Amino acid sequence: MVFGCRLYRMLNRIILACILLLPFQFSLAESTISIAGSSTVLPVMSDAAQTYKNDNPSTNITVSGGGSGTGINAVINGIVDIGMTSRQPTEAEWVKLSEKFELIDIARDAVAIAVSKAVIKSGVSSLSLEQIADIYRGKIKNWKDVGGFDEEILVIDKEPSRGTRHVFAEVVLGDAKARAPGASLISGSNNEERSIITRSNQAIGMLSHAWLNDDVRGITLKLDNGDTVSASPEHVLDGSYPIQRSLSLIVAKNRSEALQSFIAFLQSPALVPSIEKNGYLPLN
Amino acid sequence: MANRFTQALLIALALPAIAVPLACLLYLLMRGLPGFDSNLFSLNLGESGFGSSQGIMAQVIGSLALSILSCLLALPLAIGLSLYSRLYAGPRSNSVMQHVLTTFQSIPPLVYGLCGLVVFVHLLGWGISLAAGAIVLAMIILPVLTLNTIHALERVPSDYTDAARALGMSPSRVVWHVWRPRAWRSLLTGLFLAVARTLSETAPILFTATVFSGASWPNSLFAPVTSLQTHIFYLAQEAVDENAVARAWSSALVLVTLVAMFSLIAHLLNRRRSHHG
Amino acid sequence: MLLRSWITFSVIFSLALVLIFVGFLVSASLPFFLDYGLSPIVSSEWYPYEDLYGFLPALVGSAWAIVIALAIALPCGLAAAIVSVEILPQRYHGLINLCIDILAGIPSVVYGLLGIALLLPWLKNNLDLLSGHSLLAAGLLLAVMILPTITRLSQDALRDVDNSYREAASSLGLDWSQRLFSVLLPQAWPGIRSASLLATGRGLGETIAVMLVVGSIDRIPEPWYNLLAPAQTITSRIGREMGEASVGSSQWSALMACGLVLTLCVMLLSILAHAPRKRLARG
Repeated sequence: MVFGCRLYRMLNRIILACILLLPFQFSLAESTISIAGSSTVLPVMSDAAQTYKNDNPSTNITVSGGGSGTGINAVINGIVDIGMTSRQPTEAEWVKLSEKFELIDIARDAVAIAVSKAVIKSGVSSLSLEQIADIYRGKIKNWKDVGGFDEEILVIDKEPSRGTRHVFAEVVLGDAKARAPGASLISGSNNEERSIITRSNQAIGMLSHAWLNDDVRGITLKLDNGDTVSASPEHVLDGSYPIQRSLSLIVAKNRSEALQSFIAFLQSPALVPSIEKNGYLPLN
Repeated sequence: MANRFTQALLIALALPAIAVPLACLLYLLMRGLPGFDSNLFSLNLGESGFGSSQGIMAQVIGSLALSILSCLLALPLAIGLSLYSRLYAGPRSNSVMQHVLTTFQSIPPLVYGLCGLVVFVHLLGWGISLAAGAIVLAMIILPVLTLNTIHALERVPSDYTDAARALGMSPSRVVWHVWRPRAWRSLLTGLFLAVARTLSETAPILFTATVFSGASWPNSLFAPVTSLQTHIFYLAQEAVDENAVARAWSSALVLVTLVAMFSLIAHLLNRRRSHHG
Repeated sequence: MLLRSWITFSVIFSLALVLIFVGFLVSASLPFFLDYGLSPIVSSEWYPYEDLYGFLPALVGSAWAIVIALAIALPCGLAAAIVSVEILPQRYHGLINLCIDILAGIPSVVYGLLGIALLLPWLKNNLDLLSGHSLLAAGLLLAVMILPTITRLSQDALRDVDNSYREAASSLGLDWSQRLFSVLLPQAWPGIRSASLLATGRGLGETIAVMLVVGSIDRIPEPWYNLLAPAQTITSRIGREMGEASVGSSQWSALMACGLVLTLCVMLLSILAHAPRKRLARG
């Protein structure tokens, strides 16, 4: 019993010491920059953060996804330092952003109409914007109606505040916030959507051009003038591919020194390798 | 004959309860073990990337920090509450307390997460942080831990307490000299079970404490962490990158192992207690 | 003295926590109910951009998912409890308990991973679905997740039946299944009932696993019994939109209102589960 008491007292002292020392320990923290938002911009910023950290080991950079809506809201609410967005903020969001924040474009990107490999193989070579709109409005439900095999279409929509969804709906459905009654699933991040399309043989979805691969193919768009364009870099640059956008960051104008230095890095040519490596187009 | 038939039917119905856990465990081992390479537990933290190649040590540390911190926050309160229930509360307030605790125990963790998001992340301006997540988890675990502690104290034979009281011992001496030696094992059991339970929670920390990548050693209470649970959640949505899928399964196996470890310690403590009577 | 102040502090602090929690939940969702009344509960359109917040699809989805889960987990869990308490000899109890412990110990997110990797492709291929995301998938995962709760509490209920009932039944000449169905199960029924109520509450609040397999689309299944359709549950809604709703917006208070509705349902279940047993014990 006596031994137990002594042990306990010692333990008590150790715990007390830890509690007292804790604030000191934690006050040694280096500067931290937090980033959240669009899952399209995420890989670029992950890369950039790593490159930056190699030269500036004292800065800690955390990167998180969630979508453009999350990014914009998080930066408005002061939860993160940098919000990533793959769309322009909505009017309501601009009101909250007011004069205190600025939008910095870092790259350009095309939103591809992504379909499963089997769909292309079945003979669907291109779709007009109208056909895509009809698919998302639920008027076309089978691939045979657009020249493919006799299979139901798995229409994948995205969460409403996602950047890719805004840009897609703006061009295809005429309004960034339009409903898509034909959708059969709602997905979140690019990862999630690409995985669903990969696993299916009859899916259509909207995906950043950089996320296409052998299983998830971008479909060629049939324009009104009869031309067909794919979501390739040259068509983005000459403006002939209609579903394209800027990838941007939202930052407070009033920034700390560490944040300013990181932003300067992001606006310098040093970012170009990270952009190109992930399949996007640098601004210049 | 009818008996045989009923029994056979019941056994057939009960089979999934045995087959499903074993199958899950086997499948986890099958998919998770190949991913155990030297990289997985590399101490090279702070490496970002896409979760596919880097080790998961930062996630393990983040998960443990969240769980242990939350349980340490909840424990003193749980002990205080249970002492109140044993020392001062009358039968009526005891029954009210039991009801409130069981009701709060049943509230979905997600709702605690929602409230934590408003209060700690937004109103108090802590941002997504270790502290916010730990407090949310502490709130989730508090009712469970308190009920466990009350139960542990109830198991101390009342003869001991009565005798000590008759000798004129003050409540604090009763607590220290009579209850503590007999209840501390059960208390520890409860604590380890609580750690295991908080390790399994994902929804409440997803928006309050964790980020996708970049968090290294938690260097401040108010910095975000990465955790195994949310790491698995992000990687689960990935099917294209083979490495990421393999990492998801290894992370899942590590998480299940951690939960099992804490439950096992609790179990062993509990068994030794009942042996010694 | 130290002890006293510590206890007082804990009690006051915990009371404050309870009050703050309830207060926040109510006050954050109050603006929503003031603006929209109770009509969102029966409205089926949820479009935050158009300020339309209908809870019905999510409520229906949650209800279906839990009904499927109970339909599977209840017979299975009850049978497992009967087998372990009444059929198997003592030395096998450890095995069943171990299995149930494993089941209970696997975290929700790992079930989600298993669901995505195994369940969805299996459903897709065998039932000829578009992607496998469906109420059925959510229900199946939930069934596995609430199975431990049902089994453990039913085991307790069966063990609590006094041995004198068993002896009396035998002396009346009842055979094994008569004893089970006319004596043991009726006696254990209150316990089994509260087991299923608690499991229902647990299942309703389950988030991550459900969110990954349910499809997250706000649509009431058509026809209403179409369990193979993707849908939304209350928890998957909150989980998906929690991060992107800005605090103070109407979408935010709508989500808090969802949380409040969920909490009220689960609290009710918990109170129902605990109340009658007390009365029985007293009587």
